[in-house]
This record gives sequence, structure tokens and C-alpha cells, in this order.
Amino acid sequence: MKKTMIAMLLAGGQGSRLYALTQSVAKPSVPFGGKYRIIDFPLSNCENSGIDTVGVLTQYRPLQLNSYIGSGQPWDLDVNDGGVFILPPYQSAGEKGSWFTGTANAICQNLAFIEEYDPDHVVILSGDHIYKMDYADMLRDHVEHNAACTISVLTVTLEEATRFGMMNLGEGGYIKEFEEKPKHPKSTLASMGIYIFDWKKLRKYLLQDDADPNSKHDFGHNIIPAMIADGEKIWPYRFKGYWRDVGTIDSLWDANMDMLTPQLIDLYDPEWPISARSPICPPHQVGSHAEILHSIVTEGCEIDGIVDNSVLSPSVHIGVGANIKYSVLMPGVVVEAGASVEYAIIGENTIIRAGAKVGGSPAPGEGKKITTIGPDLEIPAGSTVKVGAMISSSEEV
Amino acid sequence: MKDFHGLIFAYYTDARLRELVSMRTAASLPFCGRYRVIDFSLSAMRNAGIVDVGVIMQRDYQSLLDHLGGGKAWDMARRTGGLRMLPPFGLPEYHRGNYAGTMEALIAVSSYIKDVKAKYFVLMLGDMCANIDLTVPMEQHRKSGSAITAICTDRADAEGFRMTYLTDDNGKARQILVDAVNEKEGFLSLEAYIINKETLLELMETSRKQSLHRFHKDTLDSWLKEGGKMDIYVHHGYTALIRSVDSYYKANMDMLNNDIRHELFPAERPVFTKAREEVSTYYGVGSYSRNSLVADNCIIDGSIENCIVFSGARIRPGAKLKNCIVMNDCIVEVGCSLDHCIIDKDCSFSPNTVLNGNERLPLIVPKGSNI
Repeated sequence: MKKTMIAMLLAGGQGSRLYALTQSVAKPSVPFGGKYRIIDFPLSNCENSGIDTVGVLTQYRPLQLNSYIGSGQPWDLDVNDGGVFILPPYQSAGEKGSWFTGTANAICQNLAFIEEYDPDHVVILSGDHIYKMDYADMLRDHVEHNAACTISVLTVTLEEATRFGMMNLGEGGYIKEFEEKPKHPKSTLASMGIYIFDWKKLRKYLLQDDADPNSKHDFGHNIIPAMIADGEKIWPYRFKGYWRDVGTIDSLWDANMDMLTPQLIDLYDPEWPISARSPICPPHQVGSHAEILHSIVTEGCEIDGIVDNSVLSPSVHIGVGANIKYSVLMPGVVVEAGASVEYAIIGENTIIRAGAKVGGSPAPGEGKKITTIGPDLEIPAGSTVKVGAMISSSEEV
Repeated sequence: MKDFHGLIFAYYTDARLRELVSMRTAASLPFCGRYRVIDFSLSAMRNAGIVDVGVIMQRDYQSLLDHLGGGKAWDMARRTGGLRMLPPFGLPEYHRGNYAGTMEALIAVSSYIKDVKAKYFVLMLGDMCANIDLTVPMEQHRKSGSAITAICTDRADAEGFRMTYLTDDNGKARQILVDAVNEKEGFLSLEAYIINKETLLELMETSRKQSLHRFHKDTLDSWLKEGGKMDIYVHHGYTALIRSVDSYYKANMDMLNNDIRHELFPAERPVFTKAREEVSTYYGVGSYSRNSLVADNCIIDGSIENCIVFSGARIRPGAKLKNCIVMNDCIVEVGCSLDHCIIDKDCSFSPNTVLNGNERLPLIVPKGSNI
């Protein structure tokens, strides 16, 4: 059946800068903010924006992501006409199959999927952003300005601008230039990597791009510059609110800490719930030696130590006298008695044995250094993991 | 496990539960921060592979229906079989008053029971908290050739159960004692049974003819005397029967003990329940919390000690809660002080409210109260 707009969610990235955390899972399925995985944010935004057809493009280590998304039921995407679809690269008869070679190529390889729904518009989303956004409002803006493409933009400072794809505006407020990480930024409007395209136009540019052997097959580098060059109308949708790219260890830690400041992003808003698939565990237990200060704690946790300014996913166990400060503990992490974890991210099911010391607080006047421990590891009793280390296998401990 | 069919008795609600059951059945009482009491029996069946289950209910079952939904939480939403709600149907006399006993409840749904294809029924109470591994007695029952297997407990702390089985030299039940509290011998019945379908129909027929409706005192006792073969299976884990405000309060507070809670929620046999909002609990800068259980989606800025807190609670700065059960979506404003209270769903307390119950008499704040 025809749809006004469907979503294509790019979830194939390896997330190489999160190395220890993404060795066996794709970046979108990295746990986040206690109850969630990163992909819950764009999926919930789709649910809340009334989008009922979502293609999730996977490539790198998709097993966990596939089982996590499943039928899409947690996001009400288990509908009869539409729903959530995992779209991996595939082979066709008589052709050599290939991996997705770029963001645009990933969409191009799935033209048949999109055409099945014959949408007027397609929204392209990224699986590694933390934000709440009404794509329906963005679509209204897109339609109102009769745009071929609308890019969601955020106002940043000139210093920050050197890290983003920047939009320079021309006549009528339309985008006339797209600069990737400019050394001398000319504007403060940064692309958030969220695009709505007129489907017929996008289809044309995708096919054109696909035929170009010199193209990187990337939206930011190729498709949008080509549209600008042809004089297509590209409209900036100005987003106000919280948005973070969590592609690095520092930004992942920062965004987790942001969840402790409800003024930045309100996860308790019943009008815009973020949904997740999570195991049903008993409520978390606060023991008689526990001290919990300014933290997020999730079901299944058992806490008998100090938890200060930290984010705890489900079923984390903290022993007596253990000290957790400014840290992110993913599902199933165990910190035994007397151990300390400071300014760290600890991967799923890792065990920190009694008395071990992981990371540390920054010295006065110095910047923080986040210590990262990958999933399923064991840090021996009494050992020390030095500040800023990234541990991804037991040999490194 | 298509050989086994589950039946859960959710029609009985003890009046000693007072205001807690003014709008719900005992089986749908909220428990341990996120569950309903009936979740234990449903999950025990689901974990043993029994997904064809009938829930016998009679009155005030709106909250129970809302909780059960289509049975999805227990993997019982099936195209064929699955979870079936069994309110009284057919005979008008069953829509009035209360069922006189388990046998009458069974007779009221006899057409359903007759249609079941399974060879065996597993009968359980809806108002009992126990995590029973049914696979063992099911296998034992299949092999033994006995018509009934009674699931019993050897726990001294299992309160509220009244039936004791005395056994013969072969370990078969020979007699039922009622209220044999001082009896050293015998096994206290958890009123959970595995029973052959033809035996169940036979007992129902006898009961109907004689108009005797009590399961234990009338039906099973005479069946044993006539030579019926009943095995005993002993469940060793924690068990609580929710039949009074005291037993409800105590069972909840028992969950603060890690050993007991782990017995009731072992990793290998999870307890399933209807899913709620997906957001963690937030502890504010000035919060204080000790010895408590807290569900997701709470915002704790005040202080809690020895409390069971359900999802959606908002505990504002300076509010102090001790020894309380706080059900879903309650708001406790600044400066309140609450001790030994059972606070039902959707209550709100304006600033500086003081309410104290007592350990022997917890104060019940009825659903939706605005204080």
C-alpha cells in the first residue's frame, strides 16, 4: 500500500572509534542511558512521529541487532501493512553481490524495498544519534518549502563547526553549499545527518550516483552536492533540542552523563516515550550499605556500594564498599566488594573482581580521560586498569 | 507440553484483604514493585511449557483482564489454545454470590474443561506467590500412574495454607487434615495439583450430584478414602499465600531479603509480567535510599527506607518514606512523612502530609486518594 513517508535507518556502521564496545556488536545496539540501546531513539522517534514502515540497513555484526529489533513489537512496529524490516546486503541472480559501499549505496541496493511502499518521501536516519525529534513536523516543513531535500540542522558555535558538515544558505533561505568539516566555517548551521527526500528525485540521483565509479556513494559527499549543483531546492529544517552523535568513547560517555540532567532531555515525558526491548527483571534492590547519588538505576540491579553520578543498565551488581563514580555500566556488569570504577565505561557482563581499580578522576585542571572495558571480560581482584585505557581482550588486563 | 493444560483459580478473594481488593481480585494485587500475584502461577506454567491455560474468575475481574491482555507476556497469545479467561458462563446461578468452593468453580466452567484435549490438568491458585518448577512433578506424575499429584511444601514459613496430607508407607497420600498446625507429620498442601482429566471430570460429577462444593474437605477426602491414588511432590522454595493485609504486607517486605527474593526470582525460571514504560529510575542529587526495592520509571528526590516502590513514583525532595509499599504512579510531595503505609495506585500526597501506620496494622491508602 502507498505510504506518505517511510524511514530508512542506517545501522550498518562498525563504530570503529568505540572499538572495545563494538567488537561483537554494531554501534546501534550498544547499550545507552540505562534502559536503552542507541537505536531505540530513532526507532521510538518513528513510532511517535507516526511512521509505521522502517527499513533498517545492517551490515556489520548484525546478529544482536536483528534479535533486538525482532518483530518491532516494542516500538509498535509489528503492523500488518508495513513494520520494521532488517535489510542486509544481498546477492542477486547472475550478479556478484556486494557490501554496502556507502550510505547512498546502501539505500540504492534497496530500491525494490522502497518501491514496494511507493512513498512520496523517504526520511534517512542514522543509528547512532541520541535525540527526540518529530519527523512529521520536519515533513511539514519539507512540503511547505516544496523542497527536493530537507536537511535537519542544528545551530553550533564556530569552533564546533569545524567538526560537522556545515550548511551555507543562499536565496530564500535554501541551502546553496554543503561543506564537510570546513577549516574556516562560513555558517553555524550543522547537518544532523537526518534527511527527508522527495522519493522520485532521490531515486534519480541514487541511480545517477551508482553509475559513477569515482563516487564515494555518500549522502553528504555526493548526493546532496549533486542536487545543489543541479539547482534543486534543499531546505534546512531547524531543530531545537538535545541531539548528540555518540560515535566516540568521549561522546558516548558525555551523552550518558547528560541523561542525569533531565533539563537537557526528558526521558520521562509520557508524550514522547522512548521504547526498548528489555528482559523483565525484579525491581532494583538498594542494599543496607548502598548510597545512590544523582544516578540512573535500572531493574534487576542489586546495589550495596556507592553509586555516584553514574548510569546503570539492567542487572548490574555492586558489592559492599565498591565505589562507582561518573561511570556507565552496561547490562549484567558485576563490581565486587571494595572495587572502584571512576570515569569509565564497562561493557556488558564484565566482572570487576574485589578490590580492583578501574580508571580514575581527572586531576584538577586536567581534562577527563575515560577508561573503557569491553564486554564479557574479567578484571582480576586487586588489579589496576590505568586511566584512559581501552581494554578489549583478557590478554590486555 | 500439549499433554498438560493449566487452570488457575482467580475467583477467590479473601475479605481480610480489605480495601486492597475493593476493586480487584487477590490474583491481580500488585506485588514486589512490578508484578501481580497471578504472574507466579502463570510463569510457572509457561516455564514448564504449558501455554494452554484457563483462568477461572468470577467477580471484580476488570483489573485482572487488563493485566492478562491476550496473554502475550507469558507467550500464551496463540492462534489455537493459549490463554482463556473463564468468567462464569452458561448457568445464571453462577453470576450471583460467590462460588461455594473450588468444585463449584470447576463445574461452572465444565463445558470448557470437557473440550480440553490434554490428558492432564495442572491446577494452581491465583493468589499464591511461589516459583515452582512444574517440570519435575509433571514428569513424576506421568510416570507414577497415580491419578493425582499434590504439590506440597516443607517450609515452616509457608503461612496461610490449611490442608495437610498424611502419607502411607509408600509415600501416597492417605488422609487430609484441616488446620493441623501442630501436626509434626505430613505435608502442607500448596493447593496445586496435577490431575488426570478423567479423574477431574469424575470428581466434578460426584460433587455436582452430591452438591458438595469444597475441594479438600468434601471431594478429595472421600476420594482418598475410596482408594484414590495420590502422590506427593514437595516444593522447597519460598511460598506465600495472599489472603490478608498482613500476609500481603509481610510477603512484600520479605522481598527485601535477598535470599528470599532470589528464591522467588531465580534466573533459570523468570517471572513474566505485563511490560510497562521503558525508562530507568532517576535518583536526584539530594536523594537517600536504603534497603528498598524500586521499579523503573521512578524519580526519587526524597528519602526511602525499607520500601517497595512501583513504577511511576515521584518522591519529591524532603519527602520521607519508611516501611511503605508504594503502588504505581503515586506522587509524594515535598516534606511528606509516611511510615508503615500501603499506598494503592494513583495516590497523591500534598506537601507535608504525615501518615503513620503500625507494623501490626499497616495503614491502607485506597486507590486514587488525594491527601
